[in-house]
Amino acid sequence: MNTKGRLKLLILTGCLSLFVTLHTAYGEDAWRTDFDATCAQSNDAMALSMPELQKLIERCNSLQKIIETEEETVRKVFLKRLQMCRNLYVFVLETKMQEQKPK
Amino acid sequence: MRKIFFVVPILLVAVGIAWAQGGMKKKKPLPYEFGSVTINNYSQQAGMPPVVFDHWVHRQYYTCRLCHVDIGFGMTAGSTKVRSVDNMKGYFCGTCHNGKMAHGKKRIFESCAKEYTREEYKRCVKCHALERSAAREEEFYRFSEKMPNERFGNGINWEMAEEKGLIKPTDYLEGVSSKKANLKVTPDFAIKTKVEGMPDIIFSHKKHTVWNGCALCHPDIFIGVKKGTSKYTMVELFEGKYCGVCHDKVAFPQTDCQRCHTKPT
Repeated sequence: MNTKGRLKLLILTGCLSLFVTLHTAYGEDAWRTDFDATCAQSNDAMALSMPELQKLIERCNSLQKIIETEEETVRKVFLKRLQMCRNLYVFVLETKMQEQKPK
Repeated sequence: MRKIFFVVPILLVAVGIAWAQGGMKKKKPLPYEFGSVTINNYSQQAGMPPVVFDHWVHRQYYTCRLCHVDIGFGMTAGSTKVRSVDNMKGYFCGTCHNGKMAHGKKRIFESCAKEYTREEYKRCVKCHALERSAAREEEFYRFSEKMPNERFGNGINWEMAEEKGLIKPTDYLEGVSSKKANLKVTPDFAIKTKVEGMPDIIFSHKKHTVWNGCALCHPDIFIGVKKGTSKYTMVELFEGKYCGVCHDKVAFPQTDCQRCHTKPT
């Protein structure tokens, strides 16, 4: 391989490792941002509509799958936190559903 | 003499039954001991004394919600199964005890280390306490004398302390807590009592949510959201269910009837 080829290969390797690093860092941030946004509404749960609650529960379910792939400590902390806010949304949703049932 | 052969076995059986039923009266904790939790999931296996966690030290700075929701500590001793490695990674105790965070000018000491010197061991025994420290006890009394008094528990009226601005518990930690919308507080409501002459309970959501948020109590501790859907008995409460999850252990004891049964008759 000539010098030009080596340089190209070097640039390509650099770009690839930069992409992997950024992707990992961004991916980590992405689920955390999503987690914060999802659980931030737990103070508001009673004021949310049923479709909004349903949507939040679905987001919690997707987040659970991502967090389960994290390392042990992160998993332990965030699965517990996620479970608490998910349980609250489910609980409020079920209460609202019961209220809507004809007596 | 024959009577002895008759009375002694009966006494032994009676004591045995009382012991088996846990009938020995629980020792009432002293003010500085109230709210202390001993955690021993892995400490002794690692050759360290168990951790003695004092709630009074922490609740002057942080809300219950911050530690039990945002940091992820369970509501019963040992349920979180915190490992030193978790603390070293900056989770659980290590969220604040990282040697970087501070209260005013006072830096919060770092928790747990893989290796430590004889000098550093002094830091370990701040939490891994084999016996009560006289200095810690004195620290408690120096702190409590500035606080409004309470008849029971650790003798501090925490609610009033916050009202008077003597303590300002933080509810948010950058990088840990999720930014939340302002809490919409449900109005206070009365819970009817079964005992004649006993005033009804006035339950204040405001008083509870300011330190606990919603998710700490619902649905894990209180399943019913509609007033009257759940029935509670004092027996269950004293067994550590419902209000008893916190009251008696950390919050004021349930023997202080007048704190909850407040509806004028």
